[in-house]
Amino acid sequence: MKLFTKYNRINISATIFTFVLGSIAFYFVLDYVLTRQLKETLRSEQFEIIHFVEEHHALPEIQNTRHQWITVDKSTQKINQPVFKNSIYYNEHDKEDQSAKQLLFTVDIAGQNYLITVNKSEAETEDLLKLIILITTGMIAVILLFNYLINRKLINKIWQPFYKTIDDIKAYQVSDKQPLQLTKEPIDELNLLNDSLNKMTQSIYREYAALKSFTENASHEMQTPLAVIRSRIDLLLQQSELKEQSLQQILSIEDAAQRLSKLHQSLLLLTKIENKQFVLNEQVDLKKIILEKIKEREELIDSKKIKIVTNCKEVVLSFHQHLAEILFNNLLNNAIKYTSENGVVDIELNEDFICFKNDAANEALDADKIFQRFYKPSDSGDGTGLGLAIIKEICNLAGFDISYLFNDHQHIFLIKFKTTQ
Amino acid sequence: MKLLIIEDESSLNQSMVEFLSASGYVCEPVFNFKDAVEKIEVYDYDCIVLDIMLPGGSGLQILKYLKQNNKTDGVIIISAKDSLEDKISGIELGADDYLTKPFHLSELSVRVAAIIRRKKFQGHSVISIADIEIDTVGMTVKINGQTTELTQKEFQLLLFFVINKNKVISKNAIAEHLWGDDMDIASNYDFIYAHIKNLRKKIISAGGEDRIRSVYGVGYKMQLP
Repeated sequence: MKLFTKYNRINISATIFTFVLGSIAFYFVLDYVLTRQLKETLRSEQFEIIHFVEEHHALPEIQNTRHQWITVDKSTQKINQPVFKNSIYYNEHDKEDQSAKQLLFTVDIAGQNYLITVNKSEAETEDLLKLIILITTGMIAVILLFNYLINRKLINKIWQPFYKTIDDIKAYQVSDKQPLQLTKEPIDELNLLNDSLNKMTQSIYREYAALKSFTENASHEMQTPLAVIRSRIDLLLQQSELKEQSLQQILSIEDAAQRLSKLHQSLLLLTKIENKQFVLNEQVDLKKIILEKIKEREELIDSKKIKIVTNCKEVVLSFHQHLAEILFNNLLNNAIKYTSENGVVDIELNEDFICFKNDAANEALDADKIFQRFYKPSDSGDGTGLGLAIIKEICNLAGFDISYLFNDHQHIFLIKFKTTQ
Repeated sequence: MKLLIIEDESSLNQSMVEFLSASGYVCEPVFNFKDAVEKIEVYDYDCIVLDIMLPGGSGLQILKYLKQNNKTDGVIIISAKDSLEDKISGIELGADDYLTKPFHLSELSVRVAAIIRRKKFQGHSVISIADIEIDTVGMTVKINGQTTELTQKEFQLLLFFVINKNKVISKNAIAEHLWGDDMDIASNYDFIYAHIKNLRKKIISAGGEDRIRSVYGVGYKMQLP
């Protein structure tokens, strides 16, 4: 529910409640005042008659109007206190039954007791009440309508900077290489929000930049000694007096140095992917990359006597060229490495998925663990244990869904492209 | 051929100087930004081996300086940063090549030679040594005066051996030179052996002398005068 809707609901119900309560009270007060006024009129009529009777000892000449009339009857009964009564009469003019207020009292003229009833129609009072209620209700409606319209316009306008802030936050990425810069707003609360967000992203960005430069520097600091090791080994190899055994040892040092270097590059790559330092906005031709990667490995494939079967359609995705290359490199390297001699690697690519199947040289892998970092099955040899973790991270970044199956003595890696749509 | 080696890690700098000197280059080592700029101001070099992160400044500033002063020295960047942006900005600033640390000295050597060929001879260079003649532009090879058909990989391999003549080159270095380091080939060198065998066969059948020697199974070297 929107804040405005919520606010409006509360506001309108409170307004209606107040107005209804007010109207009811107003009705009763008005009714009371009008009835009292009616009674007052009747009483003053009574006084006039009594006064006339006392002065002239005769009944006054009675002049009736449409809304007020007096009846005089001889009566034996005496009323000490004048009595008010309600009655219904038929109004000839309006052709309907209407209520009237009566005041009953008795006067004594020359020993004869008269019962005098002063009537006054309530029609006027009722009409007045009806009109007043109508006007009140109308006013409530008009006020509510105006309230709603004003609030809507005003609040939408007031909240505009808020929505702008939200849009800016949504669009913000730490890898944009600058903190969020939200504008100053004339409203204190929004200003506070923007200021806080600016400060927050500033500190996030600072941390991010520090982390980034740390990983980069760490890479530099580690690759340099590795470069020293490698260059020294290249020089050592040139010494003709070395025995075969020494040479073999030197070479195993080189292998270790090379693995360390690859391991570090892989970790750096993982960090970069996790930090979302790659923007996936390049149009990448997947088929072209796969065919290129297979061609690069022609000799390796031939030497293992592996057969590669491709069934690829033209697929162009909004992706990152370098990441796509790494993705297929790793998948293909694994497929070649773990295919049995004379085995088949089957690669299928279409708009929905890419699937790598290869005849297994070994048993099924643990599907729960294979994408974990440094997971190495017993026969994985000297891999870094990061290849599949990198594949998984790239898929996560791109919103692809990767799964592993072992079926019919084949390793199957299936990547579905459109999981997010 | 004069080379300037700009690298702050003295041990690595020394290795490069030693290896490249043995290949017939005159190498001058410098270890910081200030000395590098001083050398460049005074002398011209055929190729500069340039580290990016230097004490006292960035290697990229040296590239800018070279560009502003219309110096035509060839430059190869050697950097620990394996990032695409750095490569692109380096090349944009006029570097001729980019090599990521750690690298094999034989690889550095072959790349430096390529830069010098491009710069000095505008690419029109025929490397002629003993009975081998390599046209690096036309990608043709004459053995014993006889044109010999080589595959692309065999051509690269021969050039690699010739540039690094009389040097022991490990299988790793050969594999990386021919196939890059994307491939997972650490435990499988059979196909390298197959390429070398084929190259030898072609040289012998053209009447050339087989100069490729296997070194205890760790690598190979080509013996040339």
